[in-house]
Amino acid sequence: MSSAVSATPTDPTEMALPRQRGYWGTVGYRLRYDYITLFFLAVLVLIILSAVFAPWLAPFDPYRESIIRRLKPLGYMDQYWLGTDELGRDMLSRLLYGGRITLTMGIVPVIIATLVGGMLGIVAGFAGGVVNMVIMRVMDVFYAFPSVLLAVAISGAMGGGAVNGMIALSLVFIPPLCRVAETATTQVRNLDFVDAARATGAPLRKVLWHHVIGNVLGPILIYASSLVSVAIILASGLSFLGLGVKPPDPDWGLMLNALRQSIYVSPLVCAMPGIAILITSISMNLVSDGLRAAMDVRA
Amino acid sequence: MTTRRLATLAAGFALLATLAAPPARAQETVLRVAMTAGDIPLTAGIPDQGFEGWRFVGYNLYDALVSWDLSRGDVAADIKPGLAERWEIDPNNNRRWLFHIRRGVKFHDGSPLTAADIVWNFHRFTLESAPQFNARQFAFARAYLGNYESIEQVDEFTVAITTKQPDSLLPYNMSFLMMVSPRRSAEVNNDADAFARNPSGTGPYRFSRMVPGERLELVRNAEYWDEARRPRHDRLVLLPMPEASTRTAALLSGQVDWIEAPAPDAIPRLRSSRMQIVTAPYPHNWSYQLNFVDGPFSDVRVRRAANHALNRADFRELLGGVAIESFATLPPSTPYYGNPVRYEYDPARARALLREAGCLPCRVTLAISTSGSGQMQPLPMNELVKAQMEAAGFQVTLQTMDWNALLQMGREGRERHQGVNGINISRSLQDPFNGMFRFVWSRQAAPAGSNWGHYRSPEMDALIDRALSTFDPAARLAILRQVHEKMSEDAVMLWVVHDLNPRAMSPRVRGFVQAQSWFQDLTPITIAPR
Amino acid sequence: MFGYVIRRLIAAIPIALGVSMVCFALVFLAPGDPVQTLLPPDADAETVARLKALYGLDRPIVVQYFDWLWRVAGGDFGRSIANGRPVIEEIQRSLGNTVLLAGLSVLIAFSIAFVLGVIAGRKSGTWLDRLVTGVAVLGVSIPNYWLAIVLVIIFSVEMMILPSSGTAGDTFDPTSWDHIRYLILPVITLSMIPVGIIARTTRSAVSEVMNQEFVVTLRANGLPEWRVLKHAIKNALPPVLAVMGLQFGTLMGGSILVETVYAWPGSGYLLSKAILTRDVPVLQGTILVLAMIFVVTNLAVDLFQSTLDPRIRRG
Repeated sequence: MSSAVSATPTDPTEMALPRQRGYWGTVGYRLRYDYITLFFLAVLVLIILSAVFAPWLAPFDPYRESIIRRLKPLGYMDQYWLGTDELGRDMLSRLLYGGRITLTMGIVPVIIATLVGGMLGIVAGFAGGVVNMVIMRVMDVFYAFPSVLLAVAISGAMGGGAVNGMIALSLVFIPPLCRVAETATTQVRNLDFVDAARATGAPLRKVLWHHVIGNVLGPILIYASSLVSVAIILASGLSFLGLGVKPPDPDWGLMLNALRQSIYVSPLVCAMPGIAILITSISMNLVSDGLRAAMDVRA
Repeated sequence: MTTRRLATLAAGFALLATLAAPPARAQETVLRVAMTAGDIPLTAGIPDQGFEGWRFVGYNLYDALVSWDLSRGDVAADIKPGLAERWEIDPNNNRRWLFHIRRGVKFHDGSPLTAADIVWNFHRFTLESAPQFNARQFAFARAYLGNYESIEQVDEFTVAITTKQPDSLLPYNMSFLMMVSPRRSAEVNNDADAFARNPSGTGPYRFSRMVPGERLELVRNAEYWDEARRPRHDRLVLLPMPEASTRTAALLSGQVDWIEAPAPDAIPRLRSSRMQIVTAPYPHNWSYQLNFVDGPFSDVRVRRAANHALNRADFRELLGGVAIESFATLPPSTPYYGNPVRYEYDPARARALLREAGCLPCRVTLAISTSGSGQMQPLPMNELVKAQMEAAGFQVTLQTMDWNALLQMGREGRERHQGVNGINISRSLQDPFNGMFRFVWSRQAAPAGSNWGHYRSPEMDALIDRALSTFDPAARLAILRQVHEKMSEDAVMLWVVHDLNPRAMSPRVRGFVQAQSWFQDLTPITIAPR
Repeated sequence: MFGYVIRRLIAAIPIALGVSMVCFALVFLAPGDPVQTLLPPDADAETVARLKALYGLDRPIVVQYFDWLWRVAGGDFGRSIANGRPVIEEIQRSLGNTVLLAGLSVLIAFSIAFVLGVIAGRKSGTWLDRLVTGVAVLGVSIPNYWLAIVLVIIFSVEMMILPSSGTAGDTFDPTSWDHIRYLILPVITLSMIPVGIIARTTRSAVSEVMNQEFVVTLRANGLPEWRVLKHAIKNALPPVLAVMGLQFGTLMGGSILVETVYAWPGSGYLLSKAILTRDVPVLQGTILVLAMIFVVTNLAVDLFQSTLDPRIRRG
């Protein structure tokens, strides 16, 4: 019953797509010819894989230090390819392990915010009325803080640390994701076909699943993917301020700050964590843009 | 009444004169200093921002009854007469000190200093009912007035201070209490904030202007009572720059002439730009206070083992040479250093001691901070401590926290932190009480004082009591030596290094003598033309 | 329209109250004693307790909140615990510096990014477009605190042509090179993100106009290029101005990291110092004021947009 309804021409998202490939087929087709996105997707996958497999890839223990070989240049003794840091720890190993922490700090809050914010937004959009008002007004309060300010304030208030940093970032991202989900849900809900489906007596759960979730997920995911790079920069920023990951754990932002003092001894080594953040966030941004174009979502 | 009006008038003229002076006379010489503080130290009397506040603001705007002799770099600095030209213990009462106030001293507002002003200032610190009482000054002063009971004016130029217990070290405490002008305070209705914006003291510099949070400018006091210490430059600009790399960049780009505590790694770069690097030992140590009640450090053998486990030369290396190895509480240039046991690097010995104590591997937890005044480079240094101790049979857990959280732990004492075996708080050790007694005196057991780990030794308590009631300096010195030696014998701390307190200055800065002290005298400095 | 403005303003009141509650609560999440930094490291527990009582910090939190709110409503943000000065003065002074920095950054970003965006939008799909898009992505991807460090090393330490931190220390004088010098590096750094965002918005707005059917037809029929461009710019300007306004609000609260690296005495630096010293009144006041500025700029942008296009009214 409901499948018949979804084929009605009033459904705008379905209309826009060439029918023979289906939605995801079209997305895949578009992506296949977007070389820039593909290239940066490959870079991103490489970064993620290197973080995941850091324990197997890292040539040294990222915590093992030696005062004798501190701040050695790139390629030192043919073993320390990216040199050593201010405590003589292998830079490559720390960057690899740091990727784990930094990416986690960036991705986990976005996932949490997507789940919580998305859910709240869908509930608000679908329920409407008082529920919508309560949820959205609470979100408005958090929306009233610029993201950096809110992240720094929450994390600073809670005394820093990786977990507190992630909580802070999650709280920062819940309101915008909630708003995106609410807008998309409200739009879909107000379309005639949803009412029509409900009028025909289709179970609420089914209507929700087929129309609301189906049409709302795209914008939410795209928006969430665009937040990951913001989250990574913000998370490193928190660590840089001393409000995120605590030493001696390798985190790119923290490494950047610690190496700041040694910049005159070994500028290239000190630039590494910044370059790592830059490459990751550029890749993340371009991949997110590419996905958005391919999925034809305007969020 | 007339004198007061005259004084006000004079002050007004002085103010006018400063205002009327062109902002940048061609020949005006300016010394610009980048401090490590995050804000301008309080200008209303006793400063905040730790000893840096005293160094740059407190002792420049104000004087205390007792001063520090900062004119020499070859010996540990000691106290000398300040606003009091001499002092002695009352021959009939060993709890009553007499301070004779220097004549002819004038505040920056022109009013003369008398004994009544000293009493007025003490009431500002202590007497809640007095109109000039100030909560923040009270908080700062309390640390130095623990043994203070009362003050009275004996005559126009003499005050008597009575202590609760006999206290031969009272003059040291007096050196931290800044005397402000009661006349200026009255003009602003005793509002400390208004006073801070237009302060009046007796010090070698006068207040010129302040941009809160950004800069404080002082000008030379041409009428300073100590002619030898009238500044040799016209203006002193103080800039708060808490970030070490910011200070380094500011010196290299010519924005300032002098920076405190450059990062050791920046020193070679500074040298290559012809900057002068000065270092000197001063009463500071980077160490751990230990828990004498709970856990392995209650056994002296474990404490000795830990001290044998450290190769302190590595720490010097890590710090780029701006530290000296620390084998005892105080640096060797201290007069009461004595001849303490020396815990050389000997991991085998450490392991043997641990085995003997039945603690191998010996699990200990050390509380450390991520940053903090005097903490040097806490993270890398603690990592190194951990690595070296573990190589000698310990198993170290570092409990990392915020500087304030660590201070709070230090204040609360071991009772509330029984899982912690040592705390890494660097302390200032500028006098016998602050340098030794407070760590090992049973009366100072936390939370009442700084004896964090509740070290208790009747023998040590007896030595301290004797020192405090010995008013003959030479006899007292001998007792102080014994205290210091006994601290080492009992391995009351885990000693690591003494900071050499590096500072860097442009080649134009001439005539500075770095004293072995937390405080420094800037007045002899001249600025060579560009 | 007037009714709409009133409605939006009234709707902002509960938000403002909620914001004040969050600001107040934030500070009490924190571990450690707020009066601690005031005291010498060796102060004993009794001194701490007495000082807390002196600052009224020993009262129940609800009482403290309403007391604070009441005073804030009257313009009294209390005094800084760290330095005893009135918080409102601290905020005013630092806010001026941040407005200067954020305002200049957004203006400069606009003037660069708008040109870039128009170029890219006109020639969408060409290498020029790709280049501009690349610059835009770089702008939003570069961690600006890292860029700040790099710029200081290049322009202050090595070339010695620009100051590395702080200000000239007087009220800003736009005619004095000595004052402007201090602004250059922070403004460049802070304008990176708005350059990226504004360039992107402009590009998509312009390219949308260019691809409109009637524009394509007119161009094919020989309509002069400048008239096409004029039309495109006229259409692109409102959304871009809106984005610019939003960016200003974001930078006002988002310059914390950049201000910290440059020791720029703005509200962000004030905030990061207040976090370090746990200066409760300053923290509460600064966060509240920055959030309010953000609310007001967003509201203004909303109203501006709905004046131009009544369809996008909310609430």
